[in-house]
Amino acid sequence: MQRRNMLTAVTAALALSVIPGSAALAQNPVLKIGFVGVTSGPAAAWGTSNQRSMETRAAWINETGGYKIGDVTYDIEIVSFDDQKDPKRAIAGMEKMAQEGIHYVVGPNVDDGAAAVRPVAEANGIIYFPYAFPKPLYTAPASNAVLGMVANYQSGPAIYKYLKEDRGVRTVAFIAANESDPLSQRDSGREAAEALGLEVVSANVTYQVDTTDFTPVLTPVIRTNPDLLVLSGVTPASAPQLIRSARELGFQGLISTETAQDAQVLRESAGDLANGFISVGGASTPEIASDMMKEFVARYTDMFGEYNDESNTKVYALEYILATLAANPAAIDDVEAFKQTMDTFEAPNPYMKGDAMMRYVGVSSFGQRRQIAVPLVVNVFQDGEFETLFVAEVD
Amino acid sequence: MEQVIVNGVYLGSQYAMIALGLTLIFALMNVLNFAHGQMYVIGGFVTYTFYGQFGLPFVLALLMSCVTLAVLGALIEKFLFGPVIRRSAREESTMLLAAGIAFLLDAVILLVFGEKQRGVPKIVDGVFNWDFRIIIPYDRILICFLAILSIVAFISYMQFTRTGRALRAIAQDRVAAELMGVNVNRYSMIGFALGAMLAGLVGGLLVTITGVNLGMGGPTSIKAFMMVMIGGAGVISGAILGGFILGMLEAVGLAVLSQYGDITYLAIFVALMIFLAIRPQGLMGKPWG
Amino acid sequence: MLSRADTHRLPLVLGFAVFLIAVFLLVPFLISVTGRWNFYFTLTSVALLSVASAGVWLTFYIGRINIGQGAFALIGAYVSAILVTKAGVSFWVSLPAAGLFAGMVAIVIGLPILRLRGVYFAMITLVLTEVVRLTALALPITNGAKGIVSIPLPGELSLFGITIIPDFATIENPKLAFYYTACVLMVVCFASMYRIVNSRLGQLCRSMQQNEELASSVGVNIAYLRVIVFAISSFFGGLGGAMFGAIAQSVYPSSFVVKDSIDFMLNCFLGGLGYVFGPMLGTLVLYFGWDLLFELGRYQLLVYSGTLILLILVLPNGLLSIRFDRIRGLWK
Repeated sequence: MQRRNMLTAVTAALALSVIPGSAALAQNPVLKIGFVGVTSGPAAAWGTSNQRSMETRAAWINETGGYKIGDVTYDIEIVSFDDQKDPKRAIAGMEKMAQEGIHYVVGPNVDDGAAAVRPVAEANGIIYFPYAFPKPLYTAPASNAVLGMVANYQSGPAIYKYLKEDRGVRTVAFIAANESDPLSQRDSGREAAEALGLEVVSANVTYQVDTTDFTPVLTPVIRTNPDLLVLSGVTPASAPQLIRSARELGFQGLISTETAQDAQVLRESAGDLANGFISVGGASTPEIASDMMKEFVARYTDMFGEYNDESNTKVYALEYILATLAANPAAIDDVEAFKQTMDTFEAPNPYMKGDAMMRYVGVSSFGQRRQIAVPLVVNVFQDGEFETLFVAEVD
Repeated sequence: MEQVIVNGVYLGSQYAMIALGLTLIFALMNVLNFAHGQMYVIGGFVTYTFYGQFGLPFVLALLMSCVTLAVLGALIEKFLFGPVIRRSAREESTMLLAAGIAFLLDAVILLVFGEKQRGVPKIVDGVFNWDFRIIIPYDRILICFLAILSIVAFISYMQFTRTGRALRAIAQDRVAAELMGVNVNRYSMIGFALGAMLAGLVGGLLVTITGVNLGMGGPTSIKAFMMVMIGGAGVISGAILGGFILGMLEAVGLAVLSQYGDITYLAIFVALMIFLAIRPQGLMGKPWG
Repeated sequence: MLSRADTHRLPLVLGFAVFLIAVFLLVPFLISVTGRWNFYFTLTSVALLSVASAGVWLTFYIGRINIGQGAFALIGAYVSAILVTKAGVSFWVSLPAAGLFAGMVAIVIGLPILRLRGVYFAMITLVLTEVVRLTALALPITNGAKGIVSIPLPGELSLFGITIIPDFATIENPKLAFYYTACVLMVVCFASMYRIVNSRLGQLCRSMQQNEELASSVGVNIAYLRVIVFAISSFFGGLGGAMFGAIAQSVYPSSFVVKDSIDFMLNCFLGGLGYVFGPMLGTLVLYFGWDLLFELGRYQLLVYSGTLILLILVLPNGLLSIRFDRIRGLWK
């Protein structure tokens, strides 16, 4: 009896999930864009915000008649693969994309995955947009990866400089999870701080990724009494806990991070204790968001019930792919053409007020244009919302 | 140093409660319940929903967590673990089932509660600060107190009630208990429900401090295994001791070794391995589990 | 006597031949017909993961639950990567070296911990996975958190000037080359497993699995035996890990983690602990199954875990137990 019930449930789930896939009655030819990233498990929030912002944008484009590339108007289809944050799965995901004939893929979300998919992407002519910072991915001879956001070695110096000059910060402490991404970010953050002449009072303390209670971890850090506490590569889940523990231990200084955070999460889990927390965001703060950004947020919220502020930075990758293809329609199945266009491509940034431009940057960090120019928006959390602290550019 | 000890005691009381449910299930059925952490997460999300979202009183939300998990535990035992244990040739095979259930609960949590970190309003505001030597927020004191209270209540339940006696009899010797007229199947179900309920209770309690997200399940299970092993598998007092020891080890380890940086946890884990190699049955366990 | 042994051998040889044909001819043929090139990597993964799982199965064979194979796979991946990138050794030399190093580590660690049994051994091996990951993060030679990246593809292997394996970088389709390599590795590994199980060593292992004290009382040197088996097991883990490093051309501390260790164990359970080829089938179903359910999107994990639970309910002793049940049923 019970077994039969389970079976029906499984069949129902199967049927349910197949229907929306086949229901896309497209008149336009379909352009598939891939996503390989983590949408389940502890880091699910990272990939989910990617995937959902892509799906929101694709649905929006399709609803308004498609995207014009050259003489053809395409409907956009997002093909997502959950790599479970496992580099071995990420390779399988990239193979899947190659199999589907996809040439433009967003993701993976972490260092090891981004490194592991490189051989597949290069062998199959795929340009991919990782959210991972290691420089070897983007410097020659590597040429198929395009950094999808601002790296912490670019945003860190800007933030530290601002805090040093405007807030009189003299001493810094770093804390990071003992995993590749956060540790690498801590090391480059430390270099940046030292280059600015700040005194690093603590950079050795690490925590296990699965830590839920940070009081014991933070106790020795807080003892060093820094002016600024940097949470290197912190996940949105850990950030509010770290802030809360630090404040409750009596820490009075500033807290910052170079990763994107979500206001709702901070509001719920840290409340007023998170006031003054500095993080890197995209363009959805009221001061700089364009009407298109506002509509994007509204559509996202409609589609998935709740917006995620991390998507502010993640909305860009798909936009860049499409805009670059529109600039050079030959690139649609030829990534070499895409690479050439990257050197000269320029288009207005639709998500920001003013005359900000979309273009490829990264020459000073990687020696070639292998990064999308996302505005470096530094936010501060105040009474449940993000406010823009300052906006900078990366070259 | 005072702060370190307070941190350790507080962490220990959390850990002990998590380990308690796991060890109870292990003692009764020889099942290493990989899904324990997921049950804890569900407990947290239920309390989040009722207390954080619907605004019901915290105690009521906590009760809902307990009830939900007790029912879930009973169903899992009756329809999944029970039949599989009866039919499998090697009892370790239940580990696969436990892992399957862990995956299933993870999938359900993701679909129902989403991927974001969730938190609830503080139940008590304010921070106890003794001259900056001991700093501990009042809500932590309260949760620590509640955790210890639940542990005491659980132990007295096991000691003094008929059900408790039956459960202990099964844990000691399943066959003998059956021969003495204990309805083993029924009490296995009750025991499993009780263990799951403990996971739900601690999930509900801790959501007020650590919040909850879907990724906490797996690591929590693994941490709970460690405590159970330190104390001795299947021994209630061992699990409690194991929880407190791991809490202390982490607090002291972090304080003493913090200047050595990245190797803090390496040292803690290596110490754990050496300890287990020297004393394979844990502190209070029966040898050879 | 002899003829009985021969008739007993015949189906085995036949089965083996069918298996070889399927793996080396049928699969590539089907893939080229259907054009599903991405299955090469998936099946390569299955082959390599089943090699590592075979090691875990072997430790089950001496009655130990091993949740530490991820540690040895990671060790293997690093040894090969370091030898290739820092010492300029050929990959084909580094591959056995990786296995041997993993085996040596297993001997050193195994001597004290193999005295443990049941969940205690399981626990300590689980902790071992985390210890190796943290060691890889802390050591300078492993390049810490930054991992080892841009590892060159396996080079040419030649003996007395005759090319045995061509340089992978010059091959038109390295995917196929990796597939064949992984399959050869898998076949050799399982053939030797079969050999071990049906040898005197296998007999002794079975006696240990039942009762170690009894085995030891009749003169079996169980301490020696355990360590040898554990070393072979870890050798397999090291091989699998090293091959993966070569395919990904990168190794990170997170390349093999606790989750992988648990997966290796689950593969054995699912295939069936009583069957040598259990881990292979288990890996195929668990790993390939996930990929096949890719179309389900957000319901992927739900359906995957639901199906897994159903399988366990129907076949609690592993997938391979189905065959034997039926044969017994026919006899009755």
